[in-house]
Amino acid sequence: MKSLKEVLNNKDFGLFYGNRILLPFAAEILKAVIERDIIMDFSTSDKGANYTIFNDYTEIYFYDYKNLLDVVSKYEMIKLVVVEKGKNIFDLSNHKKISLHLVENHKLTIEELNDDSLFIE
Amino acid sequence: MFKKVSSLLVVIFSFSISNDLYASEGSQVVHTHPNPLMVIPFVLLLLMIATGPLFYHQFWERSYPKIAIALGLITVFYYLFGLNDSHSLIHTAHEYVSFIALLTSLFVATGGILIKVDRKATPMLNVIILLFGSVIANIIGTTGASMLLIRPYIKINKNRVKPYHIIFFIFSISNIGGALTPIGDPPLFLGFLRGVDFFWFFGHVWYAWLPTLLLLVSIFYFIDTRNKNGEDPDTEYSGKIEFKGLKSIWYLLIILVSVFIDPGIMSWVPSLAPLPIGIREIIMFSVAYLSYKTAEIDVLKANEFNFDPIKEVAYLFVGIFATMIPALQLISYEANVYGQQLNPGIFYWATGSLSAFLDNAPTFLNFLSASLGKYGYDVAVKTQVHDFSIAHPVYLQAISIAAVFFGAMTYIGNGPNFMVKSICERAGINMPSFFGYLIKYAIPILLPIFTIVWLVLYYGKV
Repeated sequence: MKSLKEVLNNKDFGLFYGNRILLPFAAEILKAVIERDIIMDFSTSDKGANYTIFNDYTEIYFYDYKNLLDVVSKYEMIKLVVVEKGKNIFDLSNHKKISLHLVENHKLTIEELNDDSLFIE
Repeated sequence: MFKKVSSLLVVIFSFSISNDLYASEGSQVVHTHPNPLMVIPFVLLLLMIATGPLFYHQFWERSYPKIAIALGLITVFYYLFGLNDSHSLIHTAHEYVSFIALLTSLFVATGGILIKVDRKATPMLNVIILLFGSVIANIIGTTGASMLLIRPYIKINKNRVKPYHIIFFIFSISNIGGALTPIGDPPLFLGFLRGVDFFWFFGHVWYAWLPTLLLLVSIFYFIDTRNKNGEDPDTEYSGKIEFKGLKSIWYLLIILVSVFIDPGIMSWVPSLAPLPIGIREIIMFSVAYLSYKTAEIDVLKANEFNFDPIKEVAYLFVGIFATMIPALQLISYEANVYGQQLNPGIFYWATGSLSAFLDNAPTFLNFLSASLGKYGYDVAVKTQVHDFSIAHPVYLQAISIAAVFFGAMTYIGNGPNFMVKSICERAGINMPSFFGYLIKYAIPILLPIFTIVWLVLYYGKV
């Protein structure tokens, strides 16, 4: 299993298919912003989004969108606050803000959000 | 979707143009009054804007463009086939194109500018930003100032930002700030086009503008000093302010100059009537295209630039502009009938309460027309509007202040309100709903301030 740090340093890709995203690391998702939707309820009782952590990847479904490519444009991104699996979720320094850009051939670039980006946890 | 809508609009306006081809600009066009029931599409649209994001969010997000256009088309068909009045439609189409051209060009040009401020967020720094933004709103418009400052304002406050930060930003920079010049807010520009001196507004509004803003930022300061979130004593700040994409400033300047390229101001400017677009709008759209194409990619990325906020405004306001035609005409009729009985205070409250929900530019014009009518002046004659502004300034002042200030009462009161909301939501800030904004912020904070303005300036005046 790759750590988030390794994924970011190696510039590893994630994948997307329609409304499904696959991240090449295992992590809890605390908050997601897609378009104007701020999603913090990932429980099955709410339809917005749901994720599953596997051993070496994380899968997210955004149920409100059929195809993410239709809503996330060239300069836009999906923003996530994540905590890597195994790290203390209650330590705020472990909360990492990352951005996902959709590129061609179902590839998803993953970057750590810098100070220029607007993302309030 | 865009193609279908534009084709439909082209057909409708072609039909309209053929009917109005011989209506000269100065001629008085008299039309049958609309049936009061025709305000229903407008009320319905307002209700859906208010309730959609709350109660049927997903449906609303997917369907608001279709709903806004469908409700707008009800009004369009009623005017075309029920009243045989295409003049009102062309006139509204022209106002809409002007509105969206200005908003789009300012939105795109400011999207190419990045301001980075590396300073500790303090209540005083926020107050300075709100006051600075309110001043420059009179130079680059409330839309320009809002788009330029909202991102650095959020970034400075990133560890402590709350909805009230954004609400006070909308109150001051997106609305009240722009009350001093015709560039500040569209209604004042309409007044300028009709014959009011450029600096009249500054001379007659500043003594309401300044105390209102100072009171507003004092309330903000009081609330903000109680916000202890995100204070990290170990963080060091360089104090630097950095600008990127400065060439977009030139585009902003071109947009501002183009505001005055109007046949009503410069006689050499050709009018493209009866087309619902002018030279000014063509320049603005061209500048929007050029500034987008030549913007630095890094800056666009850092600003997360996309057209969705302006698309949302364009769709919602095409519905609002179309459906509000009957409402505005009925208001205009009533205002003229009862104009003799109206004092400055009534003009203030009537203009204000309607500007909160309708577009403030035509509301301003209707009440200006009614107040002129009270003294036998004609709003279509520039010299008479000019004379009125000197002989009876209190009426024009009441209408101007109300049209601009009350735009802050709701998200739909002024174009930039929605755009600021949209940018903040994309940044992960949970903004209050339509009713939340109105009930938790606008009514308790703004209404008492606007009442004080009324008591001091208009109470008891005849």
